[in-house]
Amino acid sequence: MASFKGNRFLAMLLERARHSWMFVAFFIGFFLFWEYSIVWFDIPRYILTPPSVVIEKGAADLDRLLYYTYVTGLETTLGYAVAVILALPLGLAIAFSSILKRTIYPFIVCIEMVPKIAFAPLFISWLGFGLLPKVIIVFLVCFFPIVLNAILAFNSLSEELTMFTRSTGSGVWRTFFKVRLPAALPQCFVGFKYAAINATVGAAIAEFIGSDEGLGFYIQIVTGNMRPDLAFAGIFFLTLLGMCLFGMVTLAERLLIPWHISIRRAK
Amino acid sequence: MSPGITFSEVKKVFGEGASSVHALGPVDFHIEEGSFVSLLGPSGCGKSTLMLMTAGLLKQSSGTISMGGGEVIGPRTDIGIMFQDNTLVPWRTVRGNIELQLELRGLSTHERRDDIHRLLRSVHMEDFADRHPYELSGGMQQRAAFCQAMVHEPKTMLLDEPLGKLDAMTREGIRRDLQSLWMQEKPTVIFVTHSIEEAIQLSNRVVVITPRPGIIEKIINIDLPFPRDFDVKNSPEFAAYVRETQEIFRSYGVI
Repeated sequence: MASFKGNRFLAMLLERARHSWMFVAFFIGFFLFWEYSIVWFDIPRYILTPPSVVIEKGAADLDRLLYYTYVTGLETTLGYAVAVILALPLGLAIAFSSILKRTIYPFIVCIEMVPKIAFAPLFISWLGFGLLPKVIIVFLVCFFPIVLNAILAFNSLSEELTMFTRSTGSGVWRTFFKVRLPAALPQCFVGFKYAAINATVGAAIAEFIGSDEGLGFYIQIVTGNMRPDLAFAGIFFLTLLGMCLFGMVTLAERLLIPWHISIRRAK
Repeated sequence: MSPGITFSEVKKVFGEGASSVHALGPVDFHIEEGSFVSLLGPSGCGKSTLMLMTAGLLKQSSGTISMGGGEVIGPRTDIGIMFQDNTLVPWRTVRGNIELQLELRGLSTHERRDDIHRLLRSVHMEDFADRHPYELSGGMQQRAAFCQAMVHEPKTMLLDEPLGKLDAMTREGIRRDLQSLWMQEKPTVIFVTHSIEEAIQLSNRVVVITPRPGIIEKIINIDLPFPRDFDVKNSPEFAAYVRETQEIFRSYGVI
């Protein structure tokens, strides 16, 4: 049985490799090209460094990079979490209240048009260099896509299901937990995922504008010092951070709405 | 008031003033308890509207509808309802979807385990109880949806083109299952359709509705014995009913 399972695992790996070898080859080729083009085209080291140097110098500065990853990670996670906690109930309230739909909803749609990053200098001038202004910027970047998708999610129950639940005489709460909420989750996750992708962008830009720690701060300082190798190391950790957040949201999606994933696969 | 369903002077107008649309009525007729009645008419004749008003999900502009001796004034909970697009939710299995009907009504699902199994067996779905809707064909989904609409043993079933999206061969099989379910449970059925053959094969009476504004052109009693299988459709009596119905729609230029 164990060997059978092992074989299946091996078969799965081979199958994956067969499907993705071109991608892997391209990926490796890209980094090889980067590595050797610097020699071929004689690019100065203060403009671009080969990936091998990025790894080497990045490893030498690992302590600082890890600490700054923690700082930026904290800003991102806090801003994202507060956005989810506030946006979901607000989206729900707007979806079910005709008054809120005519007052707050158009306001939110207007604000969504404003580039939130443009507020960053203001928040930093109001609140200083600390954690709070960054959390607020991340929150602003994440809040609107979550609210707007939540409103859409809770408003899009099919007419048939609405009539069906009414014909059962089911109360508001029972209908909500048994039908409306699960039906809304896939669309809610569209917002969660979009916000997760943009959360690190918000944190990095807020740090560019005014900060004394964090990966955005790091990238800006080392670039000023003509150290593209360290800038790329910072970008690598920022990417990793974004992937972790997105990965966690995707994992939550798999756990909460496995049926939705299955439908997507089946189609 | 008598049991069954009675429509008196029922009329539906959508909108107000100059832009209003007279969709239906006035409609007057009575459906006996336990009978299978089809509302037959072209698209937009108001047959679905009439069904929704019977369910209390849509308010008529004037007139009254009474069901089981009481006037319909709001959503009725003593009915089973089904639409062209079924109300199976994707996160529950077939069994879970049937249980949803009970859970939303605050009824015990445990006590009805045998009923659910019996219903599933009568539509040949007992092996698919633990499958999710997206794993099933359109026809099987509608079979499961019949079970969902009947599990709480409603006295009245309101079916709005439940076979509308299925291919002709699948429809044949499901009609037979629907008929046997009806003969087994004997609810009063209002069946909305635009298929002449389907209406004649399944019903005690076919209510022929004209194009908008929908009014009842004729009520045809179908005097054929149940169960009506495929052979019945080849009988001269059946053909005569089809011809009679076709003549009505032809006179209106629908076909």
